[in-house]
Amino acid sequence: MPCYYDLMLYSHCGTKIVKQASNTMWGFLMSKEFNSKLTDLKRYFFNESDVRKFIDFLMTKAEVIAPQTKGEQSFAYNVVKNSSDVALEYPRTMQPLKKYFLPPVETLLTFKMSSNEFSEEVIEAKKQIFFGIHSYEMKGIHLLDYCLGKGKPESNYLKRRANALIIGISYKPDKYHFATSLGIDIEETEGFALFFEKVTEGYLVFVVTDEGAELIKDFSGGKPIDEQVNIEELPQQAKIKYHYNRLPQVFEHVYNSRVWDHFADKCVGCGTCNLLCPTCYCFDVRDEVGLNADDGKRQRFWDGCMLNSFAEVAGGENFRNKLAARMRHRLYRKFSYITKSSGELHCVGCGRCTRYCPADISIVEIINSLIEDYSAQQKKQAV
Amino acid sequence: MSAQAVKSKPKVAFFDFTSCEGCQLNKLNFENELLDILELVDIVEFREAMDDKADAYDIAFIEGSISTPTCIERIHDIRRRSKVLVALGQCAVTGGINAMKNSHPSEWVQETVYGKDKYLFPSIPAQPVSAIVKVDYEVRGCPMSAPEYLHVFKSLVLGRKPEPPDYAVCVECKLKENECVLEKGMFCLGPITRAGCDALCPSNGQYCTGCRGMVSNINEKGAVDMLKKHGFSTEEAIKRMKLFNTNEVDKQISWGRK
Ligand code: SF4
Ligand code: SF4
Ligand code: SF4
Ligand code: SF4
Repeated sequence: MPCYYDLMLYSHCGTKIVKQASNTMWGFLMSKEFNSKLTDLKRYFFNESDVRKFIDFLMTKAEVIAPQTKGEQSFAYNVVKNSSDVALEYPRTMQPLKKYFLPPVETLLTFKMSSNEFSEEVIEAKKQIFFGIHSYEMKGIHLLDYCLGKGKPESNYLKRRANALIIGISYKPDKYHFATSLGIDIEETEGFALFFEKVTEGYLVFVVTDEGAELIKDFSGGKPIDEQVNIEELPQQAKIKYHYNRLPQVFEHVYNSRVWDHFADKCVGCGTCNLLCPTCYCFDVRDEVGLNADDGKRQRFWDGCMLNSFAEVAGGENFRNKLAARMRHRLYRKFSYITKSSGELHCVGCGRCTRYCPADISIVEIINSLIEDYSAQQKKQAV
Repeated sequence: MSAQAVKSKPKVAFFDFTSCEGCQLNKLNFENELLDILELVDIVEFREAMDDKADAYDIAFIEGSISTPTCIERIHDIRRRSKVLVALGQCAVTGGINAMKNSHPSEWVQETVYGKDKYLFPSIPAQPVSAIVKVDYEVRGCPMSAPEYLHVFKSLVLGRKPEPPDYAVCVECKLKENECVLEKGMFCLGPITRAGCDALCPSNGQYCTGCRGMVSNINEKGAVDMLKKHGFSTEEAIKRMKLFNTNEVDKQISWGRK
C-alpha cells in the first residue's frame, strides 16, 4: 500500500493536499489559509481499481452515466456499459449534464388530427447515478433547478432531476476553465453524494451526504482514513480581473459599450455557445405531422439567443437582428438579468462557449474587456 | 385542418430546369414515404413525361437553375399557372453549383462547353428561380435534403406553412453531440450554412461544404475571418464559400476584400 497521506500529496488536479500537523502553530496557519470544503468530511482512499469496482457496484444499483471518450479528442456523458470506459480525468464534455434532464430533442406529446386527441409523454421515474461530475457542472444544474423550478415549474425536468444521484470528481483546469474566478472551487461538494479527489496514487473519496455514506458502506471497499487533510486550490489559468461579486455592478455600466461591437465583428452567430452552455435553457417547440396526414407529435429542441432566427417574430420582424445585440443579451442573461432575482451569476466558468467557438471568441476576454471599459469610465468620472 | 380537406387532392407538378437531376434521384431514394405522399396528391406533370398537362397546378416544384433565355419564358408560364411554387434543390434556390460559371466571362464558358457550336446554345448567367419569379417555399441542399422535402410537401398538402430552419448546421451538430471536425484540423462551413440536413457531413466525419446555402443576415467579415483562421487567404476563403453560393456571395459585395 503506497504511503498516500504522507506529509504532502500533490493531486493531479492542481490541488496540493497537506496532512494537517495538528496542535502546532504551523498546522493552525495551514488550516486557516488553505481551508477547504472537504476538511470536515469523512474520507476513504480508493486506488484506481477500487474506483472501477465501485462503478461496477453502482451499476448493480441503477443506470450509471459518466464521461466517456467520444471521437478523437472529445468527451461526452453516456450510459456506462463497462466501468473501464469511464474517463476519470477529462477537461469537459461537449454537451453539459443538462442533456439528461432537459434533453436536446424531447417529444412532449403525440396527437391525432382526425379525432382531435392528444396524449402527453410519460416521464419514466427511474433512478440514475451520475458519476464523475465536475463542480462547475453541478453548479450549472443548481442554477437550472432555480430557473426551471420557479414560476410555472418545468415538470419534465423536475421529475428527471428528482431521481438523480450525483457523484463528483476533481479536475485539472485547462486554459478554458475559469470557475474559480466565479467562486466555484474545484472541491465544491454541494449537490454531490460523494466526492472523488485525485491524488498521486489514487483517489480520496469524501462522504458528503448520508446517501453517499450508505453507498460506501454497502460497497465495503477502499480504506478509511482518519487523518485530517487540507486541500489547497491552485489558481486556474483563465482569470477574470475582478472579484466575481463585482461583476453585476460592471454590467450596470456597459450596456452601450463598444466591446460588444468589437467581439460581434468576429462572431458568425452559429449558436454553439448557447447550445453547449450548462445554464442556457431556451427551447423551440415544433409540431410535425406524419405522412398519413393525421398522426403527429410536438417536440421541443434546444434553441439559442445567438441565432438570427431566435428573436424573429411572426411577420419576419427581428427585434435583435444585430449580432452585437444578441451577444450582449447572452451575457446579460448570465451576469445581470436573472442575477437580479436569483442573486447568483448564471455562468459557471466551464469554458465550453470559448472552447467550441469556431471564431475563437473567449468569454473571459469579453468580460475582461468590459471590466476595462468600466474602470476607464470610473476613472474619467473621478477626474 | 381535418382529414376531409385532404380529400380534394391537390394537383402537383414537377419541372426540370438546368440541373444534374440529382434531386430527382434523391426523391426516388425514399420511395416508401413517397407512396404515402402520392396518396395525398394528384401528380399531373412529372418531368413532362406525362401527356396529361393540366392548365393549373396547386403546387409546382421547380428543379434546376435558370440559365437560358427559354428557361425564362418557361418559368413565367409555370408561375402563371401555379398557386404555390416551390424551388427544389440548391440550383433552383440559389443557382447552386451551376452559378460557378457566373464567375467567368460568358463567352469563355460557352466556348469551353460547346466549342464552335456555341452560338446554337444561348446561355445567360445561372440564376435562382427567385431571380425571375416569386418563389413561395424552398427545399435546400445539393442534392435536396429528403426530410426537408417531405416536411414542405406534407405541410403544403395539409395547408400548413412549411418552416424550414434558418440557423447554422452547427446547431444540428451540437444537438447530436457530434465531435466537431475542427477538432481534427479540418475547416468547416457549418457555422454559416443553413441547417436542415441533420448535419449530414459532420455526422459522417466530413466537413460541411455549404451545399444548403448560407443562413440569413450573415456576418460576412466574421465568416471570412473564421476561414482565414484555417490558413486561407481572403480570396481562397471566398472561393470556398462560393462553391454553392456564387450568387449569394457576389450579391454581398465586399466580404472583407479591399
Ligand atoms: S460560438 Fe462563437 S461564433 Fe458561434 S455564436 Fe457563439 S460567439 Fe458567435
Ligand atoms: S457562458 Fe460559457 S463558460 Fe459560462 S457556463 Fe455558459 S458555456 Fe460555460
Ligand atoms: S463540424 Fe462543422 S457544423 Fe459541426 S459543429 Fe463543427 S463547425 Fe459546426
Ligand atoms: S453538412 Fe453542409 S455540405 Fe453536408 S449536406 Fe449539410 S449543408 Fe450540405
